[in-house]
Amino acid sequence: MAKAKADTKYIICNADEGDPGAYMNRNEIEGDPHSLLEGMIIGAYVMGATEGIIYVRAEYPLAVSRLTKAIEQAREYGLLGANILDRGFNFNIQLVQGAGAFVCGEETALIASLEGQAGRPRPRPPYPAQRGLWDKPTNINNVETWYNVAPIVTRGPAWFAETGSAKSPGTKVFSLVGKIQNTGLVEMPLGTPLKSFIYDIGEGAAPGRRVKAVQTGGPSGGCIPVEMLDTPVDYESLAQIGSIMGSGGMVVMDEDNCMVDVARYFIEFTHSESCGKCVPCRVGLNKALRILNAITKGSGTREQMNLLDELGRMIRECSLCALGQSAPNPVLTTMRHFREEYEDHIVAHRCRAGVCQELALSPCENSCPLRMNIPRFLELYQEGRLEDAFESVILDNPLPASTGRVCQHPCDNRCRRQSFDEVVNMREVHRFLADAIYQSDLFEPMLERIRARKLAPTGRKVAVAGSGPTGLTAAFYLAMLGHDVTVFEERSEAGGMLRFAIPEYRLPKSVLRKELDLIEGVGVKMVFNTRIGFDVPLNELASQFDAVFLSIGTWKESWLYLPGTELKNVHPALPFLESVARQEKVVTGARVAIIGGGNAAIDSARTVMRMGASATILYRRERQDMPAIDEEIQAAEDEGVRFVFLAAPHRILGGADGSVKAIEIVKTRLGEYDKSGRRRPMPTDEVQRFECDSVILAVGETFDQDFCRASGLELKEEGTIIVDRFTYETSRPNFYAGGDVITGASNVSNAMSCGKQAAQKMDERLMGEQRWERIFPDFEYSRTAPGEPSLSRRHAAHDLPAALRVRSQQEVVAGLDPKEALEECRRCLRCDLRATVTAN
Amino acid sequence: MPTKTISVRIDGELVTAREGQSILEAALANGKQIPTLCYLKGLSAVGACRVCMVELAGTDRLLPACTTPIQEGMSIKTASAKLTQYRRMAVELLLVERNHICSACVSNGHCELQSLARSLGITHVRYSYNNPRMTVDMTHPRFVLDQNRCILCTRCVRVCAEVEGAHVWEVASRGIYSRIVSDLKDDWGKASNCTGCGKCVQACPTGALAEKGLSVMEMVKQSDAVSRLATQRASLVNGAR
Repeated sequence: MAKAKADTKYIICNADEGDPGAYMNRNEIEGDPHSLLEGMIIGAYVMGATEGIIYVRAEYPLAVSRLTKAIEQAREYGLLGANILDRGFNFNIQLVQGAGAFVCGEETALIASLEGQAGRPRPRPPYPAQRGLWDKPTNINNVETWYNVAPIVTRGPAWFAETGSAKSPGTKVFSLVGKIQNTGLVEMPLGTPLKSFIYDIGEGAAPGRRVKAVQTGGPSGGCIPVEMLDTPVDYESLAQIGSIMGSGGMVVMDEDNCMVDVARYFIEFTHSESCGKCVPCRVGLNKALRILNAITKGSGTREQMNLLDELGRMIRECSLCALGQSAPNPVLTTMRHFREEYEDHIVAHRCRAGVCQELALSPCENSCPLRMNIPRFLELYQEGRLEDAFESVILDNPLPASTGRVCQHPCDNRCRRQSFDEVVNMREVHRFLADAIYQSDLFEPMLERIRARKLAPTGRKVAVAGSGPTGLTAAFYLAMLGHDVTVFEERSEAGGMLRFAIPEYRLPKSVLRKELDLIEGVGVKMVFNTRIGFDVPLNELASQFDAVFLSIGTWKESWLYLPGTELKNVHPALPFLESVARQEKVVTGARVAIIGGGNAAIDSARTVMRMGASATILYRRERQDMPAIDEEIQAAEDEGVRFVFLAAPHRILGGADGSVKAIEIVKTRLGEYDKSGRRRPMPTDEVQRFECDSVILAVGETFDQDFCRASGLELKEEGTIIVDRFTYETSRPNFYAGGDVITGASNVSNAMSCGKQAAQKMDERLMGEQRWERIFPDFEYSRTAPGEPSLSRRHAAHDLPAALRVRSQQEVVAGLDPKEALEECRRCLRCDLRATVTAN
Repeated sequence: MPTKTISVRIDGELVTAREGQSILEAALANGKQIPTLCYLKGLSAVGACRVCMVELAGTDRLLPACTTPIQEGMSIKTASAKLTQYRRMAVELLLVERNHICSACVSNGHCELQSLARSLGITHVRYSYNNPRMTVDMTHPRFVLDQNRCILCTRCVRVCAEVEGAHVWEVASRGIYSRIVSDLKDDWGKASNCTGCGKCVQACPTGALAEKGLSVMEMVKQSDAVSRLATQRASLVNGAR
């Protein structure tokens, strides 16, 4: 540009900051307008320009007024105007206010706008440096670039190149927003990894949440999944993974963000900002938006998804200007990294984040693994219809008394009442409903009523392997659908983890017995002491049954390879809990150390306390990182369980007789954030010793490798059975699988959800039609929103006093009483109701 | 000043071109065909329809042939599976954007959009039709503007501004809502600057602009004549410079 010969040359500062959520330029200009002028004056002097223009958003009134003042002051000091500093250099700067069109951030559109034309880009070449504003050589740069000029001139390019990466030197200001604890503007060296932004500066997601993705570069940037947060933030690395640096926007998303909706939102933005000149951007984005709208409404198809992908590539490669070329980034990256979410919307009509309104009844229902119609049973009970409310519950969830006690209650995180006071206690209400029926003479009539809803016998025989929550749920629904169901159980009693892993004080066996009575009552046959694949070969099942559902769970405890685990009285948690459940004698001694931070660790510790011993939980991270349910951790603390955090097991020391004497742990400190969004525990030099008589390892469960390998079914690398995500079909025809054996260790309600969905799909495959809805009656209940929802506070369940409960196996948590349950129902805000507002 | 001759490769063949020519002009001068829609020889090129995209060896970027100046040593590919796919998609998108009902159109059989679709082998469209409600401006005594058939190529805008010098046409609104408008968004019949020359009608590649009272057989566009006029005028203007 300096070499270009022309009577007039222009330099332009592009301050048309149009990205939603980005305000770094505004901050810079408002804070220090003179440095911008200084950069432009130096630039103009070097390039021989006589006219400077700052194109600033009209929506930045403070920036405009400060710039105006700064320009006046610069003129007064003779830094603008004629013969600046006696160098014979004439230069003036004028301010032009943009009307807020996103496309005017594109340089040729910005120039068109300055010339008084509509802000539409034109093809390059010719580049502005050859023919720009009024066909004169024009240099156009962003605000931040001009701010960098003076420091570089003062301190030299080598100083500037010291920071940043080799290819992208220097720093950049980023606007860090979204689902993190600490938001704002940050200036960082280029090449800093993304995770430093999110975890070190942003301090990670809110408690209990996980970062899912980050979008860089404004509305046309790509979404980068959390697995790729090691990516350094520089121009080349971002481009490589389908995103852009753009203006420096960074929007962090967690599991409450639906990635399909994110893509739809940004396409809606770029679509409405498209100038309409070229076909790919004008029509292509319109078609992309229509397809995304369809997918978020649940009417999308797989074909449309392929079209969308093809369309995205075409728009990116064929559009005229950068707006169109980058607009498909959010779609292309979310389709690449979050394909499962798209498929969920299309195939299962499911939006896990609960964002897509058409796909969810209410936030609580959407968050429930069993998709229980929660507002319905709350309303039914409120109307005084206990039996109807129970029927609603049991048809959604065949183990309500169990889930009412042990569910992780994800619904609590979603309940909209929390923005008002506290969440509705939905778990305790459905527990109350179940207990009210099971513990009264209403049980038999209720069973009759449910039996009456069974569909006519189909003559199809289905085998279910395993009587845990997954198997029981599948068996219940298959029986309701009219099939002849037989459950094969390796142990002598049904219930799986509910029976043998969850202690009596959390889920009394008598309660579980009632649930099993009901499931057997609808016609499920149980065969005990029979191990599928060993006592009954799979081929035999295949010949005798029309379909087989495998839900054998994860009963093997992961082993920790540690010196001393061979000693006597080192117990894996599950067998320990199972022995206690069978009322077998387990020797623990007086002091027990438990390694782990999950529910099994807490259950073991509280069980140990009830055996009269003292329990110490050793966990390598901190309390907020523990995967166990928070109430359970609290209860354990109340009962006197000792917690040692930041403690990784080092070795177990034994006495001469081969029994445990002590455990040594290495203190850890929390290091960098790992992919789970938690800080990685790093060992320190500090070793501590705890005297103990036995050690329980609760470091996670794994599945029965022997069964999986012998089954001949296709397995994942880690050994879980491969199934179709939507139909639960395995690689062998008529064999289905669900629960922990396909997902790895999970929790009761997730496991039941597999059983429920698998039953529906198996029925569809067996009968060749969709019959699922037929087992559900049409519940008549009020569909008007409560004018005045109850102002009562949340009713919590009643815990036995810690001192009393810790010495017995008596159930710790007593449910709500009828009055409290009714009040909880009245607290529901009825998010399942939609107001229809007609236009005009 | 005599223009410099440069040598380039088009589809592998070594050909000469003049400096300052676009890739499209160089290709046409050497007997190579590149499909176009918004381009009309003699008018300024705008690169709006993206049908003339070509591949440049050594880069993975596609370039619009109509607006990219050809340069010494360039190796251009005018046809490939990818180019055909994208050209088809561009035409497909135009077909679904508005209401192109050939059987009821005055340009049926001699429509550039229709013949391009045919030559690209488009037998159906895979996207749903937008079916927008569009207006038809019948207010001009001789001509009619049917927005249903407009593809926003802006040939009418350019021919009116660059050849006739009347500046009747402009594009209003933006994005999918872009519309060709006459005068200051008034009825065409009220446009005081319209000379009624009809160049826009002849330049229009589809049935969007047509002469009233003509049958399908009579309404064959004389875009070549407009193009000749435009070329003459362009050389006059350039000569005067």
